[in-house]
Amino acid sequence: MNTSSETTSDYLLLFRGNVWDRGLSPAQIQKVVADWMAWFERLKAEGKCLGGHPLGEEGKVVSGKQGRTVADGPFAESKEAIGGYFYLHVADENEAIEIARQCPGLEYGAVVEVRPVADVCSIKQRAMEYSPGELAGANA
Amino acid sequence: MLLFRGPHWDRGLSTDELQQAIDKVMAWFEGLNKRGKIKGAQPLGGQGRVVSGTDGRFVVDGPFTETKEAVGGYLVLQADSLDDAVEIAQSMPTLRYGISVEVRPILAECPILQRHPELVRRATDRTAEELWVAAAA
Repeated sequence: MNTSSETTSDYLLLFRGNVWDRGLSPAQIQKVVADWMAWFERLKAEGKCLGGHPLGEEGKVVSGKQGRTVADGPFAESKEAIGGYFYLHVADENEAIEIARQCPGLEYGAVVEVRPVADVCSIKQRAMEYSPGELAGANA
Repeated sequence: MLLFRGPHWDRGLSTDELQQAIDKVMAWFEGLNKRGKIKGAQPLGGQGRVVSGTDGRFVVDGPFTETKEAVGGYLVLQADSLDDAVEIAQSMPTLRYGISVEVRPILAECPILQRHPELVRRATDRTAEELWVAAAA
């Protein structure tokens, strides 16, 4: 079975754990942040990163029918919370992983999730596998 | 940024229900797009890797996209405020099938620095200099 991830060249890096600064000296924090920005600028200059941003720690989680539940969150100060992202345009998954391994926060506990950007929503893909041809618009 | 969590909301739906849900999501998306609210959006593939440890020495398969917390896709909104973004998230048609939407502001500057105000000035001063060093390297 062909999956789109085998041919895609776009990946999202999700940086998890935005508490890497705990226990670091001001000089160490400053170095990590400066290294991180220099890394980002270098990848952009090389055309391997098309964009990226840190995410604010305040946020909301919307759930339930008609989004009736709006909770404060997602409790961004944790090891799992997503602190930011890079959008990569690279040759293959190996290159995306190689880039992820250069993240300056790894040494201090940050975790990088490497995800292929899909052409087709996985729900549609599964829907087509369950009932090929039945879903109008599933190839859109 | 909207992060869509719980990518397996289609489980247990009939083909008709699924078709209707997909149509609704497409219409929702097109509506937002016409209003100029969408700066970017992609579904994410289920296969991925998680990199951790010094020099990224640990590379494992993951994340487990079967879970309700897994991120199945994202949408970068051009919203007027967090409230506006929340309102848009509330209009997402598949909420009724159990997904949740994390709504997060996109920042220009790392919030870690905001936690350490004494660093902000020095870091901004130094960054330009270090970028030149990096660019020259």
